Amino acid sequence: MWLPFIGLITGIALGLLTGIRIPEEYSNYLSIAVLAAFDTLFGGIRAYLQNIYDEKVFVSGFFFNIILAASLAFLGVHLGVDLYLAAVFAFGVRLFQNIAVIRRILLTKWTARKERIEKS
Amino acid sequence: MNRIKVKGHHYLLSLVGLFLGFIIALSYHLTQIENEKPKMTDKQYEQTLALRNQLIDQEKANRMLQMELKQKQDKVQKNEKELAKEARIFSSLVEDTEKYRLFLGKVKVKGKGVKVTLSDGAYDPKEDNVNHYLVHEHHVFKVVNELYISGAAAVAVNGTRLTSHSYIVCNGPVITVDGVPYPAPFVITAIGDPEVLASSLNLTGGVKDQLVNDDIIFKLEKADNIIFDPILGG
Repeated sequence: MWLPFIGLITGIALGLLTGIRIPEEYSNYLSIAVLAAFDTLFGGIRAYLQNIYDEKVFVSGFFFNIILAASLAFLGVHLGVDLYLAAVFAFGVRLFQNIAVIRRILLTKWTARKERIEKS
Repeated sequence: MNRIKVKGHHYLLSLVGLFLGFIIALSYHLTQIENEKPKMTDKQYEQTLALRNQLIDQEKANRMLQMELKQKQDKVQKNEKELAKEARIFSSLVEDTEKYRLFLGKVKVKGKGVKVTLSDGAYDPKEDNVNHYLVHEHHVFKVVNELYISGAAAVAVNGTRLTSHSYIVCNGPVITVDGVPYPAPFVITAIGDPEVLASSLNLTGGVKDQLVNDDIIFKLEKADNIIFDPILGG
């Protein structure tokens, strides 16, 4: 159960301590990748809460979204269109939607449990 | 907690967690680094660029000027060498000139020397010819010539300095030196090495002996400080 969290902490520690430098022109890709990762993560949590979670979909979506977002940004840079803005927009909107859905599900569950406790 | 039970493989999820953590940390790190850098506006950037270009131009100009300076220095060195050579020639010329001026009597001369006094001999009743004990021009000549031969730089008779075209004439009771009559005694002063001059005059059978033989009173003294003024209008 705690393995994913240990992995997260290890990842953070690795990123902070190794001091890997990324050229400045790639920082855009990195930020879009972070955004995509967050989006997929919250999507996964939402799916789990809605009981439609599939690990394959989640893991493949996680990496694929990151790669797609980065390549979209790359394409945008080379075409002269700020496509990464589109990615930011899409991911941002979806992020908020996902969080909203998660919040609503959690709220329903919480109230349902409260009612159950009151009944019993 | 029981409901939140992950079905499937934990390691895949931990891989996802690892990756997520990694990129988040990296992004955070990168942003920190970017924030640490001084923000530069376009104007500042342009200014920096212009200043850098200016600096480069200046350095180029500096290098050119330094090369030019080196060339000039080489030239100066060459000139200095030539000048030194010329100066050497000039200094030897100046020395020569000094010497010639000295001989010509154009400069003031000061130095050690000798002083020869020639006086007429005492009256001798046995001698019927007065000329036998008077100082004659040839006596003076002898002394003067001997002094010149022994290396005297300048010679004067009774204070009149002799030059290459001076004349000394016996004119009755007086001797005329360059038109100025002088009576006896005659004082001949010479500048030069006193030892050499004195010993050459004192040579056995030399000038002194000859003069003494002619009944002339010959007095020789060494002087430390003889001064001759330059001859005017010579």
